[in-house]
Amino acid sequence: MISELGIAVVNGVFRGSVYALVALGIVLIYRASGVFNFAQTEFGTTGLFAAFAAREFWGWPYLLAILFGLAVAVAMGLATERLVIHPLRNSSRVTLLVGTAGVALAAIGIQFWRNNEIPIREMPKIVDGVAFAPFGAAVTWQHLITFGVLVAVAIGLAIFFRSPSGLAIQAAQQEPTAAELVGVSVRRVSMMTWGIAAFLGGLAGVLSGPNLTFTAGFLTFAGGASLLPGFMAAVLGGMRSMPGALAGGLVVGIIQQLGSLSVFGGMSGGGAMMLFMFLLVVLLLRPQGLFVRKAVAA
Amino acid sequence: MSTTEQDPPASAGVPAETASETTAELTAALPPVPPETEAELTRELPPVTGYVEDFDLEDEPFRPSGAGWAVRGLVWALLAWVVFALPGNFLSPFELGVSDVSHASTAVIFAIIGLSLNVLIGYAGTISLGHQAFVGLGAFASAYLVVDLGMEFWLALPLAALFGGVQAAALGAVSLRLTGLYFALVTLAYGTFAEQTLFGITALTGGDAGKEVTRPLGFESDFTFYYLCVAFLAVVLWIDWRLMRTKGGRALQALRENPRVASSYGIDVKAYTLLAFATSGVFAGIGGALLAQNTTLIVPQTFNFELALIFVLMTVVGGLRNRVGVVLGSMLFALMEEGTLVEILHIEGLLRDTIGLPAEFFGLVVGPILLLLTITLYPGGIGQQVAPISQWLRGGRFDRHAGKVTEVEVTDVRA
Repeated sequence: MISELGIAVVNGVFRGSVYALVALGIVLIYRASGVFNFAQTEFGTTGLFAAFAAREFWGWPYLLAILFGLAVAVAMGLATERLVIHPLRNSSRVTLLVGTAGVALAAIGIQFWRNNEIPIREMPKIVDGVAFAPFGAAVTWQHLITFGVLVAVAIGLAIFFRSPSGLAIQAAQQEPTAAELVGVSVRRVSMMTWGIAAFLGGLAGVLSGPNLTFTAGFLTFAGGASLLPGFMAAVLGGMRSMPGALAGGLVVGIIQQLGSLSVFGGMSGGGAMMLFMFLLVVLLLRPQGLFVRKAVAA
Repeated sequence: MSTTEQDPPASAGVPAETASETTAELTAALPPVPPETEAELTRELPPVTGYVEDFDLEDEPFRPSGAGWAVRGLVWALLAWVVFALPGNFLSPFELGVSDVSHASTAVIFAIIGLSLNVLIGYAGTISLGHQAFVGLGAFASAYLVVDLGMEFWLALPLAALFGGVQAAALGAVSLRLTGLYFALVTLAYGTFAEQTLFGITALTGGDAGKEVTRPLGFESDFTFYYLCVAFLAVVLWIDWRLMRTKGGRALQALRENPRVASSYGIDVKAYTLLAFATSGVFAGIGGALLAQNTTLIVPQTFNFELALIFVLMTVVGGLRNRVGVVLGSMLFALMEEGTLVEILHIEGLLRDTIGLPAEFFGLVVGPILLLLTITLYPGGIGQQVAPISQWLRGGRFDRHAGKVTEVEVTDVRA
């Protein structure tokens, strides 16, 4: 039992680090545009496909392929901001949500279309093999690298938000009019935020891609596989706190992994059930988030 | 919230608006007020009212000429022919196959589902990203009742609808505490939970292999089943239309605009939100039960997140709060889903040769583009596009600007 719990926690943490990357992007965009970005994980899937194409079809070196994938993800994020979010900036927030869902579906459609012929795809891992195995849970190098990237991203974001550009972003998010008055271009800040968020989404995509061994996993990276957990992580952090989103991602990863415990008798979809229950409990008892002291306006 | 600042929204009940318009026209058309001496007033008053009545008769109801009615009648007849005769191969130069009619049935069922989602997004103003679960529950409930319990379809369908209504109301009860965005998230989680956990219970749903469903007696053929679907669509349309004419419907409109103001007028926000959820769930249950009967084999994987997105798309593109638009939009998306539209238009070859797009992905690629166009450029959706025609068909003038909407109005309830 203990070792089973241990396996769940270890796997959960590594699963959760992908969710945390997704959640960070969601929180950034929520603070900038006040919208739940349902296309966040599609940035990742699109980036993953671009990296895959570069690596497998065009024979680029791995690092270059990953950079290409990230660039495609960022381009998609910027295009979304320009073509969908900016024209709709005065609409209600749910209209915006429908807009991002449309972007997500468009991306899914194009991915299906482009990958119709070769259904099974496999992205090679950065470093193959198992690093170590606590409680018998195999931790691959890919997992470790993902976790390392998450830590690096967290530190990088913390430093960035103390730099002038980062402060400008924060100012524009808190008080757009006042920020404009002191010379911050809200328009540019919005673009920059979407760019960063898409970059984070792309990172989540290219890092988790190699762990999904076949295309069904590839294609549904967005659908249920990490969009919902990413959102839950963001909600746990109160939608506005970046450290909260990070911790939330790890918690959600563990919770989802607990659904596969033998207590549930190998029932299918245990993870989804755990997530749904957990989300309900959190939203009904602590809608301001788990890791936030004072209530924030939703 | 942008909607609160607008003047009376175009949607706020047609009769009220036309009434205010006519009074505005009346006052504009009235002769300038004569100098107010009592004698003159008493002398003038009767003619003034008489004038108003004349004016009313003369100008307000536009009456088409005999020829106009004939043309309209012809178009109505053509529509009726398309709906009733064409799929049954009566009086028809085309010979439709079984699969074509089955696609037509799917289109009609999607229209029911679209109307169900329209109640939530359009009337109640809450978005549901888990509507595939509502529909799927109806489908599996009716399948279980018919196949495993050996119940008659005519009993199973109302039960499935009831079940759909109850589960939707339960979810709605949760939503009473949440704002629009968070509720969207809960529906998303609910959809995933239903797809992976509920529909994965092999004893009830047959697991991954799916479940075979038998059609009711007398409707085994695809051709007769189509008419059953049309009949249910008619029932749903009628309920929807009656609902929006009652106190409940008006209360829903009021609380969508501003729940706080609505509750200060004595509208029970909780009760009416639950009513909207229950109605939507009942419609979705009916749609799901018919869907199960139509495909005769249902698998849990059908009801995935993509389907939920397509449901939202077809409703918004159809035009929220516009029954004709929602029905047409849903049918359009149903046909695009199945690739039938591409076949009808004979453009499969063109699509494959020019951009390499296979017919089955046409809807997935084109649908989102339509959605983005709708919410940015034509917020009224298809309903807005066809409003001039539908107005003309009802005996009005052909007005190109009929049914104009400025924004897709989805508001955050209690946000």
